[in-house]
Amino acid sequence: MNIHTYEKLWLVAAMLLIVTFIATITYGSVGLGIAMVGDQQPTVEPTELSDDERFGDPRVEQVGENEYEAYVVAQTFRYQPDPIEVPEDSQVTFYVTARDVIHSFSIVGTNVNTMAIPGEIAEMTVEFDEVGEYGVVCNEYCGPGHHDMEGELHVVPAEEFDLVDHSVDTPTEVEPDDEAEFTVEVRNRQLDDLETTVVLEVGDETFEEELVVAGGETAETTIVVDTADLGEGDHDWTITVDEFEEAGTLSVVDPDAEDDDGGDDDE
Amino acid sequence: MSNAYIDEFPAEARIVRAAFYSSFLALALGGVFGIIQTLHRTDFLRFMDSVDYYTVLTAHGVFLVISFTIFFLVGIFTWAITTSLDRGLEDIRFSWGWYSLMAVGITLTGVAILAGFTDATDISASVLFTFYAPLQAHPMFYLGLVLFVVGTWLAGADWFRSWLAWKAENPDERIPLPTFMVLTTMLMWYIATLGVAVAILAFLLPWSLGWIDTVNPLLTRTLFWFFGHPVVYFWLMPAYMMWYVMLPKISGGKLFSDPLARVVFVLFLVLSVPTGIHHQYLDPGIAEGFKFIAMTNTMFLLLPSLLTAFTVVASMEHGARQRGGEGYLGWLKALPWRDPVFTGMALAGLMFAAAGFSGMINAGMNINYLVHNTFWVVGHFHLTVGTAVALTFMAVTYWFLPQVTGRALWNRSVALGQVVLWFIGMTFMSNAMHRGGLLGIPRRTAEPQYEGFEFEAAVGSVAELDAQIALGGVLLTLSLVLFFANVIGTALNGKSDSLPANGYAETLSGPEDAPLVLDNLKLWTAIAVVLVIFAYTFPLLSIIERGGLFGPEVIPFPLTLESVTTVGIALETAATETVDGATLALVGVIR
Repeated sequence: MNIHTYEKLWLVAAMLLIVTFIATITYGSVGLGIAMVGDQQPTVEPTELSDDERFGDPRVEQVGENEYEAYVVAQTFRYQPDPIEVPEDSQVTFYVTARDVIHSFSIVGTNVNTMAIPGEIAEMTVEFDEVGEYGVVCNEYCGPGHHDMEGELHVVPAEEFDLVDHSVDTPTEVEPDDEAEFTVEVRNRQLDDLETTVVLEVGDETFEEELVVAGGETAETTIVVDTADLGEGDHDWTITVDEFEEAGTLSVVDPDAEDDDGGDDDE
Repeated sequence: MSNAYIDEFPAEARIVRAAFYSSFLALALGGVFGIIQTLHRTDFLRFMDSVDYYTVLTAHGVFLVISFTIFFLVGIFTWAITTSLDRGLEDIRFSWGWYSLMAVGITLTGVAILAGFTDATDISASVLFTFYAPLQAHPMFYLGLVLFVVGTWLAGADWFRSWLAWKAENPDERIPLPTFMVLTTMLMWYIATLGVAVAILAFLLPWSLGWIDTVNPLLTRTLFWFFGHPVVYFWLMPAYMMWYVMLPKISGGKLFSDPLARVVFVLFLVLSVPTGIHHQYLDPGIAEGFKFIAMTNTMFLLLPSLLTAFTVVASMEHGARQRGGEGYLGWLKALPWRDPVFTGMALAGLMFAAAGFSGMINAGMNINYLVHNTFWVVGHFHLTVGTAVALTFMAVTYWFLPQVTGRALWNRSVALGQVVLWFIGMTFMSNAMHRGGLLGIPRRTAEPQYEGFEFEAAVGSVAELDAQIALGGVLLTLSLVLFFANVIGTALNGKSDSLPANGYAETLSGPEDAPLVLDNLKLWTAIAVVLVIFAYTFPLLSIIERGGLFGPEVIPFPLTLESVTTVGIALETAATETVDGATLALVGVIR
């Protein structure tokens, strides 16, 4: 075959260029450790995500000193959780799946970008060095509300970051002789144990209860208030656990007195 | 009496003309939807609900990359076969058969898409060009695509039949270069379309008819990209063919090297298909190793394009020197820049060089994280299919129209303005799209304006990018108006007796310099098939093993069909008949 000298040179240069490209990509993978989203994760049933240990409750969890895991569900047309909150200087492994159609999970202005395919779980480890707020967009067409599908990711200063959730269960109305039970549930998604104090102020009284929640566990405590001490009427209460605060009103009401007011009961 | 194509092959010229006009109709529709979505997305003019944007986008994509490109290429492939073998098609009724099948198919698909604008029917297909399940279209959408693709298969069979008949009469001759290009392209297309055929016939069509309950979204997606990447070469190779066999002639010279042109087309046949997974770099469920293999294959696909760049530029230089051009770069001035056919193709080639660079970024596996599914990608393919292919097609139209109509071109100056305007419009639009992508602006969205955050431009602003895109879109629309003015003006012209003779470029280094093995189509097809088996067997098996052949339970979206039994039966019958027809035709060809 008759090939012109210049063309031979061009051919060699072209091959060199191609080999260089492949070498740079390989360096990115091996040298810099930019792994591709792969098939490390097992499959899931997209219609049964609510029963899934990880995706039933989309969340961020601490798994190491500066290591976190985020379980994210993409669905028409939102993300869960939203916003996603992670601390600065952390390494976060995202596990992303889709509940219905194909979406993406793409953090704007970064190279964090993956498809979210029903049945498959994308795994991606990301380092967040600086505090900042990012948008999350779906960049795969997923239906008529596609353009409304967005979320947020907040990288917060370490001291402002916590992974503790609180919920309280309180009565709103009790009878004068009954006891009012204030239950506080503390969920600790950090790795370390959490030692804290639950403070309940109701009327003029203050109750304190020490609570230790093991890492990754949930604990609850119940403070029992004798309503006789409070007396009839409305009593404002406040529950404080570290930064968390919730307030409400407890009514101590005598049902018999109410009956007298009602008047139309036949006795 | 002139020696134009229509004088040599009047019956074939009618087929080519029909294909061209079908192609131009699609171009017109696609262009209208293009400007609507450009103005909507950039928020300069929003007269429809954003929900309808996706119907517009589906129509823009399918009409342009399926009907415009493929109708045009069956036209020039028919021209290439008949001209280079110097014989008419074997049976013109068969040729009208495949043309009609394609036309019926794309009409069904088009109606299914456009029905999405009205609530009068429950038919819709706003699933975009990629139709990823669990998004579901009306069965008519899938069926239309099947008929269209079967039409192209039969067209390929028609051309192979011509070649076999010619070969029987000329057993010792080399395959003429244009025919060689058509045959290798079609062999690639046969392999590539297997993916989409399986995706539609085994999964999506039965699923849309309610015959099967679920599909595996990753599997149908992978099968789509098995076809979805090589389809871009199906658009591109006719443009390459024009650069090889027409551009040197229009430049006033000869093709630099016939053997290397053959090598290029063989490389495309061999490497086009085992690369599709590079569209799935960010898909969970496909191992990194498979992505790496696809990346390597893709990078080697640069080779034929780089070779083409050399050969095309060398041929142009040869032409320029024949015309008296001198100096290291001075010869550029001697090129026929006033000829719209030349200028259009040259500008298209220039844009393709830029597209090559953004394509290298896309292909760069781990670099792809930054640009995957962003506006960058849209910028990229508006340079490739939107300019390298579309502008080449429009430019050569100015040569082909007189050849197939027997009428002189209506206005060469308008034609020259048209190709230049396209180049300028696309420069604005695609550079802004690329830059927008780097900011993280997603593709395929009606309103890239979000509540919780804003895209931050390091240089310029998002408003400036939007303005460039809208301006580009308007210029491109004007360019299309000029194009259609010429098409219509030419059709209304009187018959001309002084048309240039039909023909294509001669070569400096001819087929006698090309090793015989290059013409061994069986060998190259076998290698291509082996590479496809290597690249796809394990990924596909792994996807099926992980997610199941029919996948997990997924809910079709949107719920389009509840009671389609009657339609279903009708469609089934039609489909069966078509497949039978196709089989018969193929059997006929093989005999």
